[in-house]
Amino acid sequence: MRTKAMAAALGALALTVAACGGDGGGSGGAEDHGEIKVWLSNNPEEIAWGQAMVKAWNADHPDEKITAQEIPAGQSSEEVIGAAITAGNAPCLVFNTSPAAVPQFQKQGGLVSLGQFDGGTDYVEERSGDVAEQYQSPDGEYYQIPWKANPVMIFYNKDLMKKAGVDPENPPLATYDEFLATSKKIVDSKAAQAAIWPAPTSEFFQSWFDFYPLYAAETGGTQLVEDEKATFDSDEGKAVADFWATMYSEGYAQQEPYNGDSFADGKAAMSIVGPWAIAVYGDSVNWGAVPVPTSQGTPAEETYTFSDAKNIALYSACENQGTAFDVLKFATSEEQDGALLETTGQMPMREDLAGTYPEYFESHPEYAVFADQASRTVEVPNVPNSIEIWQAFRDAYSSSVIFGEESVDDAVGAASDDVTELAGQG
Amino acid sequence: MSTLQAPRSTARTRKGAPAWVTAVVGRHPVGMLLSAPYAVFLALVFAWPLGFAVWISFHDYFFAAPGAQVDRPFVGLDNYRTVLADPDVRESMVNVGVFLVINVPLTVVLSLVLATALNGAIRGRTFLRVAYYVPYVTASVALVAVWLFLFSDGGMVNQILGPLAPDPSWLVNSTLAMPVIALFVTWKQLGFFILLYLAALQNVPKELYESAETDGASKLGVFRHVTVPGVRPATLLVVILATITGANLFTEPYLLTNGGGPNGASTSPVLLMYQRGIEQGNPDTASAIGVILVILVLLISLVNRRLLERD
Amino acid sequence: MAVHDVRDVRDAPDVPEEQHHASAAERKRLGVRGVLRYVGLFLGSAVFLFPFYYMIVGSLQRKPDTSVKGAFPTGGFTLDNYTQINSRVDLVQSLVNSGIFTGGVLLGTVVFGVLAGYALARLEFRGQGTLFATMLLVQIIPFQLLIIPIYVMIVRTYGLADSYLGMILPFAINSTAVFIFRQFFRQLPEDLFSAARLDGASELRILWSVALPLVRPALVTAVLLTFIGPWNEFLWPFLVTKDTSMQPLAVSLANYISNVAGRAANPYGAILAGSVVLAAPAVALFIAFQKRFTASDIGSGVKG
Repeated sequence: MRTKAMAAALGALALTVAACGGDGGGSGGAEDHGEIKVWLSNNPEEIAWGQAMVKAWNADHPDEKITAQEIPAGQSSEEVIGAAITAGNAPCLVFNTSPAAVPQFQKQGGLVSLGQFDGGTDYVEERSGDVAEQYQSPDGEYYQIPWKANPVMIFYNKDLMKKAGVDPENPPLATYDEFLATSKKIVDSKAAQAAIWPAPTSEFFQSWFDFYPLYAAETGGTQLVEDEKATFDSDEGKAVADFWATMYSEGYAQQEPYNGDSFADGKAAMSIVGPWAIAVYGDSVNWGAVPVPTSQGTPAEETYTFSDAKNIALYSACENQGTAFDVLKFATSEEQDGALLETTGQMPMREDLAGTYPEYFESHPEYAVFADQASRTVEVPNVPNSIEIWQAFRDAYSSSVIFGEESVDDAVGAASDDVTELAGQG
Repeated sequence: MSTLQAPRSTARTRKGAPAWVTAVVGRHPVGMLLSAPYAVFLALVFAWPLGFAVWISFHDYFFAAPGAQVDRPFVGLDNYRTVLADPDVRESMVNVGVFLVINVPLTVVLSLVLATALNGAIRGRTFLRVAYYVPYVTASVALVAVWLFLFSDGGMVNQILGPLAPDPSWLVNSTLAMPVIALFVTWKQLGFFILLYLAALQNVPKELYESAETDGASKLGVFRHVTVPGVRPATLLVVILATITGANLFTEPYLLTNGGGPNGASTSPVLLMYQRGIEQGNPDTASAIGVILVILVLLISLVNRRLLERD
Repeated sequence: MAVHDVRDVRDAPDVPEEQHHASAAERKRLGVRGVLRYVGLFLGSAVFLFPFYYMIVGSLQRKPDTSVKGAFPTGGFTLDNYTQINSRVDLVQSLVNSGIFTGGVLLGTVVFGVLAGYALARLEFRGQGTLFATMLLVQIIPFQLLIIPIYVMIVRTYGLADSYLGMILPFAINSTAVFIFRQFFRQLPEDLFSAARLDGASELRILWSVALPLVRPALVTAVLLTFIGPWNEFLWPFLVTKDTSMQPLAVSLANYISNVAGRAANPYGAILAGSVVLAAPAVALFIAFQKRFTASDIGSGVKG
């Protein structure tokens, strides 16, 4: 019987091994116009902006209507988009394309270079200025338009600081020692369960919200990978990792993921967030913001951080690419960028933001600190195997820093070798 | 095996087909017609994908958009070498081993004991049945949510345990995460296995019980010497089915421990396959993991069968 | 596969209902052991049901309360968590999608599965052994191994992304059900079939008028078992449907649980409410049909 089953399986294999291969996809050209589909990020603020934008466009373009929906479920948007590219059912535009995923999508043949459109490259560079360069792919083309950034900072809850006996207007959080001492007060006084609660899970992107901002600050703006080599096996990298390892081992940060928003629920006194947080926490939390800490306490006006940019990319499965490019320009116009800023509080990546929207920054002084921070940001490296690199890093970080199962030095060293190897694989 | 032989029909087809025709197409060629849809289905969604998966595992394969020109060279056993040298893969195999060691014996013992108890119970039978089967019919996605709250750090289980609560808490404790998952799956699947045992119990000849009782055997003795041997074939089935379900473990670590956390301590091979293949875009190594897993499951089933049939 | 290995337990005809080995005397009065048995059974059932109870209670609470007392609240109930789901997920559309997906699978399994089960059990034809062996092999191959090629095939080669057919196809005929059907048909006495054949009835006619009526109760069990699969399936429909208006309930609620609930006023409550909505139809259906869901039907599978 068993041999029979085996034989059946082998027979099935023999029949089918040869059968594979792709087929020609029916993607459209740069001149085609008509209806298109777009995906929006799934937070309520961006959906509100997106729906208003779509409505405004549809009102003027009855023959080129946009249908918008949230990105489907998944642990990360990237796996969903990657699967959609393979299937050939990706939408025309995704208003939530992570720069880290662009190299992989490009390798999959899923993206359209914006240079294929008349004035495409110029449009990107004129809108964003020098910042645009970070988003150029190694072949010199733009497969994404830098759309919006969320330079991250430390948000703290003034009420909880007060409860913990820390000066709420000026909490000592600039150096690692100060940060640890403040954290100790918060946890010891039981003001909150955790001083800060970054997600301790192993999705590849989680390091962008614990390690990477501090690393950017500590190194004065170094990317994780430069010149095809990992940069973090250094004194600075180890200092950041050791800092977080102490946070976890002392119980100032929690090893278990929180279901919900730990900062909003008052379970954590601090959080690493971008300017979106102002719109979200607005009045519900009495908050303050400071730059991320460094070992020596770098002055605020010199501190770098992670940009947490989300971009827009045009996907090759799109049939009406002409319309898609027009919508892309429409959605990143001065007017729509202003609406985005107004609705979501996120920073459009255009030159001289404060100069373009002076009334906004006048009426929202609390954004000034983020706008200032936006000029000193570090992006994820635009290199091949980007997601695998972040995953390899995250795995090492998780076992050493979060769970303390191996020494930080060993883990950082091993991860550095892995990352350099992955980055060199072109 | 005799199961594979067609029923020994004494009837002849009326028109008495020549012997050579019968030899080529069988006595009832219409059977080919009746089973054709199913055969096509198996070829399409089982044999072809299986062959393709094996093919992928020998190539440098990645996903590409339709129509994109990409190169996918044959790489021989490279993917298998990568997978076998990968500590994560080995850890996931050990994890699923831990899972099976807890889940399988627990399932067998609990379902047999509960089935025996239920078999004699008359009062409240409907209620009891519903109670034990209901987790089986409910989606894992829904059940995982409740367990998440019961076993989280500040959850009810820890509140009851008070100072005895493990630190770190259940689902982020690298020693306890897998046992909690094993417990969850046992609870969720038990209804089905109770059902199998209840059926098997109907087949234990009543006379055996009666004669054992006349011999003055204790209840426990009856259970050990009549029930357990009487349902041995069902036990084999339960062991093998539980092993297969266990080897295919995916949803629980994906949702309950946030994708195999803490730090990979509850990753299962199938989850790893999903992460490597779909999330990280390496279907080639993912397929290699899958092929190795299938071979292991076949071997385990074989060993199980040998062990349990020897008597 | 070894499901068939237990075949030779006994070849007796199907036992209509569960027998009770307790002797007649014992059935009348509950001895100490009987009481113990019931205490044990009811305690066990309490443990089994508690998570369901907790799910419902949690979904009705305004604020999460994880203390022991919180499991037995006396007030503060609200339906907010449910209205919140309804505002973000199109529950009716999702239910319809789940229904079509499950219905398609049931239809495919009942029609083609019964045909195949009958052929495998009662007919002798070329390729029968191979087909049977493949059917058994299917059950040990993890679906996740096949998912990548199937995904490429369904979505790319056949262009069935975001369609009901694409959702249904990989599950269209449940192999376990085919196996169970085969076992049912095998248990029927051969005389019935030889007599019908002598009368010149076609195989389809024999299947329809002789065999099917005899196994009808068992069919219900197989249908219920088949129902559970697609209704609760998450991974496949999640991959195939990117369009929210096509997603079945399990997918839209998983989406809600993982992406949206975190921002709800009471994420615990929102997630638990989502779970209740997902669990309710399957549980209700099961309770309605539980009388039919008898051990003896599955038993034929065990007896082989």
